[in-house]
Amino acid sequence: MITINEITIVRDGREIIYDYSEQIPAGSITAIVGPNGSGKSTLLAAIAGDIAPVKGTITIDDLHPILTSPAQLAQIRAVAIQNQSYTLGFSVQQIIEMAGLAQDVMQALELTSLVDRQVTTLSGGEAQRVSIATAIAQSTPVLLLDEPLAAQDVGSRKRIIQLLQKLAEGGVTVVVVAHSDEADLTWADKVIKQLL
Amino acid sequence: MKKLVPAIALVVASFIAIYVGAVQIDNFWAALISPGSNEILWQIRIPRVTAGLIVGASLALAGLMAQGACNNALAEPSILGTTAGASLGTVLAVLTGVVQVGSIGAIVCGALGALAATSLTFKLASLRSQLSSFALIIVGIAVSAIFTAIVGLLSAMVTRADARSISFWNFGSLALITRDNLIGITITAIIGGAIAWKISPSLDRLSLGDATAFHLGEDVPRVRLIALVALSLLAGGAVSTVGSIAFIGLAAPHIARFLYGPTHRRLIAHTAIIGALLVVVADTLSRTLAQPGELPIGLVTSLIGAPVLIALVSVKNNVWKTQ
Repeated sequence: MITINEITIVRDGREIIYDYSEQIPAGSITAIVGPNGSGKSTLLAAIAGDIAPVKGTITIDDLHPILTSPAQLAQIRAVAIQNQSYTLGFSVQQIIEMAGLAQDVMQALELTSLVDRQVTTLSGGEAQRVSIATAIAQSTPVLLLDEPLAAQDVGSRKRIIQLLQKLAEGGVTVVVVAHSDEADLTWADKVIKQLL
Repeated sequence: MKKLVPAIALVVASFIAIYVGAVQIDNFWAALISPGSNEILWQIRIPRVTAGLIVGASLALAGLMAQGACNNALAEPSILGTTAGASLGTVLAVLTGVVQVGSIGAIVCGALGALAATSLTFKLASLRSQLSSFALIIVGIAVSAIFTAIVGLLSAMVTRADARSISFWNFGSLALITRDNLIGITITAIIGGAIAWKISPSLDRLSLGDATAFHLGEDVPRVRLIALVALSLLAGGAVSTVGSIAFIGLAAPHIARFLYGPTHRRLIAHTAIIGALLVVVADTLSRTLAQPGELPIGLVTSLIGAPVLIALVSVKNNVWKTQ
């Protein structure tokens, strides 16, 4: 269970999120939707422990992400950021194995044909799928994904959603940031629309 | 077999470096297996070539640490201010009479100067916002210029022989190496190399960007600090003993990555071998091309390293993607 308790987040002097509370149940998929600049990625980053609220608290079960060591946090939550870029020419398999076992997740996301490809040569959609696969390979109880469906074709979107649903059924808490253009959100158990 | 070429070339280059010189050594192979039998061989050439191997490996690993810690293809000890900091630390300690060039004390001062200059670069580059590659390079060049200018001023103002010349600090030289000098740089190379080996998986993750490295469990500032300590030890040891030798820290890691891929743990040994090879070849050329005089080794490493680097960039490869 992720508990967000009356948080306010300020970035560059601007209140992005104000006095916001929410509970995200374990073993479910929650979609955070909204237009650009609405604070959805900021909320995800706060849950991930990347940024601290100026007021209020966020807990994953009993742990405060911002007060937890990076190594311990990596056992609890995994994150796929938007627009992951790769500078060094590792293979797809090498990248995923930096997080954990690669085989199953590569099959599930149909990355097996790319196993030896250098990540520096991937398209945007392929790189995003590698980023999602890396987060899933971390095998954490909480999975945070920033716009994982943005650059995907219909087939890839379907596969990603099916995999997330399977993970949620297995007890993983999945939080997905989705753009407000996303028409079909039936795959989410809960949709968060208003952050301010 | 192809992958062993640099190692084989290093062995061959080392023997050639020991063999050639201003004086022909009679019964070379017999003298080589009898330690102390030939003074020129055992007191001058072997220490000099050994120093070349250690300095080359150290500078190359320092470059690997710099590029890995900054996640930047252009990062290397001289661009981050590390080399100039090591020079200034050593020159100040030598001029105040605290240490002599090549001593372990000089190496400690060089490493401290290197750490201070590199830390200053990182601190100034992250003053206004999060650390960016662009800010790091610009600030590093500025810090390096200031420290180099101070070294130049100090060298020009004093007449003491052990402060050596501006040319020594700018282009380096292995000419005055003795067997005693080898102890200090061997220690810094081993400690720096061991630290580099230890943090190499973390540097792999750092290449994914600070945010993703953090998400994978890395304490990014801590990893960066440890890499800077390794970088300072490696560069400080080398620079305080033989001066600044250009291009090794930049070229050797790139050549190694092109040949062996990006995994840092694999790169440790390969980068060290390629760095050692570049310095030994450059030093052999520097003392044989203009006999009886000697060319500054930094000029020769630039002449060898720069075309190799240009060739690597010209050949299509995806080892390091620049935005």
